[in-house]
Amino acid sequence: MKIIRLVPLASALAVTLALPALAEVRIGVLIPDSGPAGLFGPSSRQAAQLAAEDINAAGGINGEPVTLVFGDVGVPPAQAVQTAQRLWRGEGVQGFVGMHDSAVRAALIGQFRGQVPYVYSGVYEGGECAPGTWLTAETPAQQLAPTIPWLAENHGASRWYLIGNDYNWPRDTNDAARPVIAEAGGEIVGEEYVPLGTSDYDASLQRIRASGADAVLVTLVGGDSVAFNIGFGAFGLDGQALRLGTLIEENTLAGIGAAGANRLFAAMGFFASIESEAAQAFAARHAQTFGAEAAQLNGMGQSVYDGLMLLSALGNAAGSMDASAIAQSGDGTAFSSPRGEAVLEGNHVAQTIYLAEGTGGAFSVVASFDSVPHGVTCE
Amino acid sequence: METALLIGLNAAWQIAALALLALGLAIVFGLLRILNMAHGEFVMLGAYSHVLTAQMGLPPVMALVVCLGFVGLAALLVERLVVRHLYDRMFDSLLATWALSILMREAVELVWGRSFRNVPLPIEGVTQIGSTGYPTYRLLVIALIVGFFVLLWLWYRRSLTGVRLRAMVSNPSLARTAGINTARLSAMAFVTGCLCAGLAGLVLAPVLAIEPNMGLDALIRSFFALVVGGLGTLEGLGIGVAVVGGLQAGLSAAVSQTAGYLGVLVLAIIFLWRRPDGLYRRR
Repeated sequence: MKIIRLVPLASALAVTLALPALAEVRIGVLIPDSGPAGLFGPSSRQAAQLAAEDINAAGGINGEPVTLVFGDVGVPPAQAVQTAQRLWRGEGVQGFVGMHDSAVRAALIGQFRGQVPYVYSGVYEGGECAPGTWLTAETPAQQLAPTIPWLAENHGASRWYLIGNDYNWPRDTNDAARPVIAEAGGEIVGEEYVPLGTSDYDASLQRIRASGADAVLVTLVGGDSVAFNIGFGAFGLDGQALRLGTLIEENTLAGIGAAGANRLFAAMGFFASIESEAAQAFAARHAQTFGAEAAQLNGMGQSVYDGLMLLSALGNAAGSMDASAIAQSGDGTAFSSPRGEAVLEGNHVAQTIYLAEGTGGAFSVVASFDSVPHGVTCE
Repeated sequence: METALLIGLNAAWQIAALALLALGLAIVFGLLRILNMAHGEFVMLGAYSHVLTAQMGLPPVMALVVCLGFVGLAALLVERLVVRHLYDRMFDSLLATWALSILMREAVELVWGRSFRNVPLPIEGVTQIGSTGYPTYRLLVIALIVGFFVLLWLWYRRSLTGVRLRAMVSNPSLARTAGINTARLSAMAFVTGCLCAGLAGLVLAPVLAIEPNMGLDALIRSFFALVVGGLGTLEGLGIGVAVVGGLQAGLSAAVSQTAGYLGVLVLAIIFLWRRPDGLYRRR
């Protein structure tokens, strides 16, 4: 008897437990909590939380609320794959948004094989065409095509020196820069790659001085960028040449400091100081929501917001989170974010790019370019 | 001519900065036979002294006092809690200080976060030497380091403490029998070594990227210099930093940064393999 009485209770319990699992869309958010990019962990997480709030306030994905499940991918690719696998197979995640390095992206794509929708959001070298993968990430073409001509016109930048860390992102960025510089009537007077982790740039600075460059394209990352730019300022090279960086965000600028930031420009899809209504509202809400815990807003962390917005828009357009259904209906999907309006063309987005100047130690946006094409052609 | 002068100045800067960075490691190894893997983290604490000073609302010049207090206290704690129990156990002390370095990085990250910090140059601008401009702060630091090393060498050769230290190094038990308090002397040597690391961090902070993981670079560069020069003497330190700093600056200027880095690595490997005592041998 007792067992029979327990049956309705048990089934009621089962239904309550199962209901949220049925009526929610679980999204895996893959961001670095550890490793060299761990700096962007807190800001990425907070941007994701704000995006989830906004998606749910607008009715979720196909009427079902979104729940985020975070995974740390600031680890070697093999480990990152295990983390993603656990979220996908173990926790029933139906779509992924990732902000991490390209080695991890390649490993994840090998794991997902187009079976689960995956949006990548961090600045990268361009060229990703894997099925089931969509990107809100700024490509080098987007960051450079509008800004190099602008710097030529407004600041007379024509003799470019290219310096970057020695791996594919800086090299691909410089490959994208070559035709843009030529088109703008400029020339390349030097090109140099240094090992990751280089802390002393005296020799490079001397070469830049000798080259007579009036502009330097900086594709150094993290602490390398900080050390280079401090040295650049200390040697007084800021009088000779302006600098343009495609991965200099607010944290890097804080490390460089005011003395090293004179005539230092950065091109990205987001800065904390964008003056549009949407960006200001986002910054205010971020500060209010997280209070003392609020991480420094920056383009890398904030990109996760855009990634989630695209994934949500794709799911709504397709009527499901099925990767092949999304592939059918994806092209032309539009969404808005603190960055502005973005439209999916192929598997990348056309989006607004901002050029900010760091003189004085804080970024102020000096130019913005709407609907910049991404320049990636896939077969 | 101008280029040669610039290369010379850059080499002088490299060598001076490296000497200051490596001194603490050399002191601790030379006197105590402990390879302090947390050396870089004491450099990091020295750099963060600027941050601490600003947080305490003190003027920037007080950073020196804050650094001595902050780093000295940390070193004393480490000596009492960890290092004291590991004298004469070289491998154990290596592992223990490696663990300690991880702990210190995490602690600093917990307190100050991972973001980069900037310490403004105390003296901005460049000094013209002929037609070559060189950052004034660097010239000042080079001069300071040279002066500091001359004084240190004189003190080590001439003072009573120097004699006791040398006695302790060459024969610890005989030194104890002769009434030298080697426990206190050892503690003092360790704290002094760490303070040197802290001072290096304090002085070099305005030219470095300051973040919790910055210590590793300092440790590796110091280690290379000591491997080449010979572990454990001031003279060896001098030779080591001159060779390593000069080679890196020279190759970087003449070929590329990659060549400079590669050159130092190859040199360190050759020395570890063929000549583990370094260029300067104890007589």
